[in-house]
Amino acid sequence: QRDLPLDPEVKYEIGNITVTGTSTYNENTVITFTGLRVGERIYLPGEKISNVIKNLWKLELFSDINLYVTDIRGDVVDLQLDIQEVPELNEIKFKGIKEKKGTTFIKDNGLNKGAKVTENLVTTTKNYIENTYKKKGFFNAKTLINVIPKEDTVSKNKVNMVVNIDRGSRVKVDQIIFEGSEKIKSKRLRRAMKNTKRKNPFRFYKRSKYIESDYEDDKKSIIDTYKENGYRDARIVSDTIIKNDDDGITLKLNVEEGKKYYIGDIDFIGNTVFSDAQLLRQLVLKKGDVYNGVLLKERIQKEGDPDADDLANLYQNNGYLFSNINAVETGVDNDTINFEIRISEGKLAYFNRVEVKGNDKTKDKVIYRELLTRPGQQYSKQAVVSTIRQLGQLGFFDPQQLTPEFKNFDQIGGTVDLEYNVVEQGASQIELQGGFGGGGFVGTLGLSFNNFSIQNIFKKEAYKPLPMGDGQRFSLRAQASQFFQTYSISLTDPWFGGKKPVQLSVSLSHTIQFQFNNLATSARDRVNRDSRNIITGGSIGLAKRLNWPDARFTLSHAISYQNFNLKNFNTGLFTFGNGSSVNLGYTIGLSRNNTANNPIFPVSGSQWSLTAKLTPPYSLFNNVDYEALAADREVAVENQDSDALAEIDQERFNFLEFYKIKFDGKWYTSLPGKFVLQSNVEFGWLGAYNNDRGIPPFERFFLGGDGLGGFALDGREIIRLRGYPNQSVTPLDRGAATTANNNDGATIYNKFSLELRYPVTFSQAATIYTLAFIEGGATYDNFRDYNPFQLNRSAGAGIRIFMPAFGLLGLDFGYGFDPIPGLIQPNGWETHFIIGQQF
Amino acid sequence: DDIKLKYTLADSLYQNGSYKKALKLYEQIVPLYRGRPQAERVMYAYSDIYYQLGDYYLAGYQFDRFVKSYPQSSKNEEAAFKSAESYYQLSPSYYLDQEDTNKAMEKLQEYINKYPESERQDKANAMVKELQTKLEKKEFEIAKGYNTIGASRNTFPNAMKSFDNFISAYPGSAYREDAMFWKFDSAYQYALGSRQDLMAERLAKAKEAYEVLEKYYPSGKYAKEVTKMIEDINVRLQTEETIN
Repeated sequence: QRDLPLDPEVKYEIGNITVTGTSTYNENTVITFTGLRVGERIYLPGEKISNVIKNLWKLELFSDINLYVTDIRGDVVDLQLDIQEVPELNEIKFKGIKEKKGTTFIKDNGLNKGAKVTENLVTTTKNYIENTYKKKGFFNAKTLINVIPKEDTVSKNKVNMVVNIDRGSRVKVDQIIFEGSEKIKSKRLRRAMKNTKRKNPFRFYKRSKYIESDYEDDKKSIIDTYKENGYRDARIVSDTIIKNDDDGITLKLNVEEGKKYYIGDIDFIGNTVFSDAQLLRQLVLKKGDVYNGVLLKERIQKEGDPDADDLANLYQNNGYLFSNINAVETGVDNDTINFEIRISEGKLAYFNRVEVKGNDKTKDKVIYRELLTRPGQQYSKQAVVSTIRQLGQLGFFDPQQLTPEFKNFDQIGGTVDLEYNVVEQGASQIELQGGFGGGGFVGTLGLSFNNFSIQNIFKKEAYKPLPMGDGQRFSLRAQASQFFQTYSISLTDPWFGGKKPVQLSVSLSHTIQFQFNNLATSARDRVNRDSRNIITGGSIGLAKRLNWPDARFTLSHAISYQNFNLKNFNTGLFTFGNGSSVNLGYTIGLSRNNTANNPIFPVSGSQWSLTAKLTPPYSLFNNVDYEALAADREVAVENQDSDALAEIDQERFNFLEFYKIKFDGKWYTSLPGKFVLQSNVEFGWLGAYNNDRGIPPFERFFLGGDGLGGFALDGREIIRLRGYPNQSVTPLDRGAATTANNNDGATIYNKFSLELRYPVTFSQAATIYTLAFIEGGATYDNFRDYNPFQLNRSAGAGIRIFMPAFGLLGLDFGYGFDPIPGLIQPNGWETHFIIGQQF
Repeated sequence: DDIKLKYTLADSLYQNGSYKKALKLYEQIVPLYRGRPQAERVMYAYSDIYYQLGDYYLAGYQFDRFVKSYPQSSKNEEAAFKSAESYYQLSPSYYLDQEDTNKAMEKLQEYINKYPESERQDKANAMVKELQTKLEKKEFEIAKGYNTIGASRNTFPNAMKSFDNFISAYPGSAYREDAMFWKFDSAYQYALGSRQDLMAERLAKAKEAYEVLEKYYPSGKYAKEVTKMIEDINVRLQTEETIN
């Protein structure tokens, strides 16, 4: 166009605006975009015009924008806007990669049909793709994007994109060379580089690749390694990447180590509550130690660990809420650094008001009785942390949302208010399941209410939808299959009476079991309804946390009753097919649990329990001559007179008479490198008051296998011993000296095991650990045969996965070194699946 | 036409007290009347139906909206009262979280301040008082809870502190006498459960609590227990003195 003389002093009137160039928009729309009006007065050039152009660019619709003055008539100007509209994307093609991979690039960069193909889009796409491959170790990845106008007369201004990708080969790090590293070996520095590794065919878990961002992180790790070893001035002077060939590079790092520093004098200032010596002991670091800045900070206050054993918590757990600790370097003396740890202790703080907010269902008293921080009590951070844990363990609140909130800090009065915010969560569970087990379909319906209120069951208005809030546990369960039905109901109140943490448990159950024939052809014939066993029972128990000898002891009492009513039920352990049996017993137990932290993976402490179950000594006062009965029984056995035997056994076992003593102890020991050793000793002994009456066939011990309980109602105890089939480890003397057969459990057992555990992960979703074990156990029929050194031994390894939603799952492989009693060959390998069992 | 017919039917159902049926129709017509002159009448009836059906959560909300939308309405005062009363009805038992109680008290107080001439003032004031008493009962019961579990959990000092807080926070409370008595009881039981060498000092503390109680409630409702307890304290303190 012509060069027109424009006077910057003159405000021109716009006479006419024309739009030229490629555009799918009509002229008026474009003029509206500009915001210029015919008749408007503007300076040329001027701010208004440059803003117009800027705004048009911002729309990102045009790839080229030019404004021309086409005519000047006095102070009237005509303007021409020449624009090039950004082309729209018609089709995109990827070359050099799979089509599927291409679609993810389309998604991530918004390369859909109709997208505006700007310069910017092309560049970001190119960079995105290259970076994607670089992150995967394709250091030499190259991308070339061609934009080709679509040859089509109808739809103007459309383009096709062709993306050529040459990802090249994955680059491996051949060598990592350190220069200037004398004090710390290259090997150790290379180990500090967690992500960038040298080529090594044996390191199958981490392949060698070069990723820039990881490499940057690794450089920081190198410096950290130096810092942890006293080289606080260490730095990487330069680093170079040398390309060896297409898929190999060498990294060369030039480090300057600087001096190694040591801790000099540590002075405490402002401490009155704790002496210098006490603080030094807590600090662990001392004069002459290698200077480690990271560790020093952690010893004073470790961020993110409320349980840390640091200086700050020493004060916080002793009531000094307002305390504040700072470490200051006071001087560098050659290679030692002197410190002053400045402590402002503040006033001792006490809790004033302690409140709970957000309990829409759970009653105040159920929560307040669990608080370990109460009005008037000295402030302790530990107590707050423990309270949160305690409330979480109730199961009524969402543990993630349990938060303590400190309010009304009063530094002068030395008080603080505390508010716990809770969010109720569903504490009820419905279990409805069907499955195949025990030779047929088994259906289960279970309801359990974990925050029940038995007090309110007769109050109509409490049903919304169920009486809740008293922290009691109430459950109902029904299970049925072709050959059995069982119903049970139980109630547990952890604070029976409301005054003491005494747990009351009451339960009732009723079971009908029919005789079952697995070999029958039709389903109907498998069940013999004329042959049945009805078991009705109940129990009531109290468990109390003790204060003496210490608060980790629990004493429990329980009375249980079971009535077996048999009709034509000649199966298993019942030698009398018609008759009844009553199992009335009193159980007393003493246990102590001081395992630390995670109940699924304890790292220290111990856990043991001693229980005794006793029945009344009927034979002392029921005037039955059991000696004569025993003699009659021998005759009956000799004559193989099963009718007489049944009659005699009915008389012996109409009321079960026995005592049972059990001990189970577990010790946890932390070993270096996160390993934990669990040592376990178990012992059980079932005895009779009257030897002529004998030990009943109930309540016996079955050793071997995975330890999972099956469907058995005779009070049997199933004990795990890996490396052997389930319940296979019977007493050695069986068959020769006694009449007992292999279906009968033993009366004495012991078991010893050592298990070495290693945690894999403690994430929210799952706790996983691996284990290796050696163990041994044996059963006996009487104390004459008892020999704790003659065990069925085994060793093996396994894994445990605990997921909150599923409970515990496990898999163990065990090798049994000894033969199963009665056989000669060592038992060999066994595989055990473990579901929902003890940890 | 159709809307009008529905409205006539809905209104007659509402007037006759068939609230459930009326609600179904109102739910349909409410959006159609929005912005029309009849909307005021419709909205009032709609809110009132929730109120009559006992759905106080929605009644409170709808009446609240009504009050804000029609400040000139002749029903405005009544709606404001019913809104506040609905919040009052939502207030839970004292042993649960009291957020709704605090909200109801706020709403009632707003009502009381806004309509000082209203004949419903007495009712509103009575409700505020009832809710205030509920909050006091909550505090009192929490403090008493520390007394209840005192022997097993060693929380008598916490009970004493909580009762002190209670007494100074609510000087005019109906539970004031109870709080003073239970503070005395907590102090007394705390002393009885302590080591011999600490007992005299703690009994003296209990006696102080007794004196406060006696000063305000000389022959109160706990007189019988109090006499027994203080006699025991005096005897114990005397024997202690003779030993030393």
